Amino acid sequence: MRTRVRNGDPDAFAELFDACARAVYNHAFRLTADWSLAEDVMSTTFMEAWRRRDSVEAEGGSLRPWLLGIATNVARSHHRSNRRYRNAASAAAAAHAAEERVEDHAEETAGRLDDRRRINATLAALSLLKRPEREVLTLCLWEGMEYAEAARALGIPVGTVRSRLSRARSKLRKLADAQLLGEKREPTRTNRQITGDRGYAVRSAQEGNR
Amino acid sequence: MNASPSHRPHPAEWTETQSLLPSAERDLPAGRHQFHKEQMMARIHEDLRTTSRTSTASSRTSAASPVAPVKRSNPFLRRAILLPAAAFALAGAVVGGLALTGGGADDGKAALATGPALTTRIGAADPKGAPQLLERISLAAADTSAPTPRKGQYIYIASKVADSYVKSDGGKSEAVSNELHSRQVWNSLDGRDGWLIEAGETSDKGITLKSDVPFSGAYNALAGLPTDPDALLQRIYRASDANRDPEVPRDQAAFVAIGDLLFESYPPAEVGAALYKAAAKIPGVVSVDDAVDATGRHGVAIARQNDTDGERTEWIFDKKTLRFLGERIVVVKATAGDPLKVGTVTHTSAITERAVVDAAKQVPGQVS
Repeated sequence: MRTRVRNGDPDAFAELFDACARAVYNHAFRLTADWSLAEDVMSTTFMEAWRRRDSVEAEGGSLRPWLLGIATNVARSHHRSNRRYRNAASAAAAAHAAEERVEDHAEETAGRLDDRRRINATLAALSLLKRPEREVLTLCLWEGMEYAEAARALGIPVGTVRSRLSRARSKLRKLADAQLLGEKREPTRTNRQITGDRGYAVRSAQEGNR
Repeated sequence: MNASPSHRPHPAEWTETQSLLPSAERDLPAGRHQFHKEQMMARIHEDLRTTSRTSTASSRTSAASPVAPVKRSNPFLRRAILLPAAAFALAGAVVGGLALTGGGADDGKAALATGPALTTRIGAADPKGAPQLLERISLAAADTSAPTPRKGQYIYIASKVADSYVKSDGGKSEAVSNELHSRQVWNSLDGRDGWLIEAGETSDKGITLKSDVPFSGAYNALAGLPTDPDALLQRIYRASDANRDPEVPRDQAAFVAIGDLLFESYPPAEVGAALYKAAAKIPGVVSVDDAVDATGRHGVAIARQNDTDGERTEWIFDKKTLRFLGERIVVVKATAGDPLKVGTVTHTSAITERAVVDAAKQVPGQVS
């Protein structure tokens, strides 16, 4: 597969797309907190992969880490500030909550409801982090990469991966503590979208560079 | 968790992440997988076709090099020229050649050139000067004759912007700024529809800003805001508290939120005036004797420093008319581990035009 990709075999790219588009899309979402932007990032990632096919090393396993590394770079150019991520995350959470309300009386499977809550929990956690921490955690946690693999995908030293992860961990710990303190059975996350001007959330998320 | 002491536990083993696993993922929206796959394949075949035509060298080298002229463009956004070019492939080499060289540079989402990070002289801040300056700015804002848009019209804002960021390349990172580029935004009055054309972010054609969640600075939303500064400020705090980055101090978030309502929007005069009065009530807001907008216009500024990251957000106004010129963010205090040096301009913008137009993508003066 690596050789075929390197040689620019169109069929290899078609297979690569089928195998990895979904993963890249979800990875891009975690990095941007924006589903439509994630779609753009995914698409651009494969175009980039095609353009950079020369950089594929002949030896190695799945090309997925390589693609995710490209996707991370592409996503980075879209989201430079934490404020924008935060805004996008609350907009996405609002949108998920809205879906939930709309489908409340429809035949909602518990699984889908659960998925949305889980995605919102993920966004809430990722919102606490700075972009470099978020990138590393996303690769290691959801993509299951090892430290060295993540380091290679991002082109950074392994030590940097470690220190970013450790910062991420302590921030997540604070979040967990805060949640224990304010533990409620009812999820509170939708409150913000119903009250107040949730519109504050959108601008940066959707309008690109600020 | 039960990780052995000899190895650092993987994030998947942390107790902190257990509530986040397993991951919930989504499929692409219906039809989009196929759509994007076709786009990619069209691009690949186009490249290969061009390659085999323009180069007689061995396939290995030719596969790599002829792609170079278009490498800066965003292929995703180039599909508009890509597909016609592919369709006319049989019509002759000239068509394809033109699309590649000319189109690659102009029609795609060309990546912006980056250079050394922008820096500036930091203007002197005066905490006592802010209330008075904002009072004058507010009066000037109240005095402007903002148009009343009709239903179905769009607010058009043109600006010049540039950003700085830390670029990482193979382990080393450096602060860079992208080139000053133009940005045009159209927003429907209800804030649910819009269009954006920004060099480096979108193609020349732009992208839709259609959204179920309305844009906070949309005209209708602004027109509905209270004009009593206290009530308005309370509302701002409530909204920004709901979305605020926990690391951004509360007052800073409110200040930034006001800026977001004011600048890439066209608020009714009395609302604009009230927003400035509300800003005057936020603790920590200062006046700055000199600041430069993205196009080099000097003015005075109203600013507030975020003590967490050491960056100061400055709203720049013309010294005489007190008309809003632009906004920028400047690093004024070094923070540990931040590669951005004091004096770095992390974001800068200058509003060049504000207008009400009849349709998205229509520029002022154009007849629909």
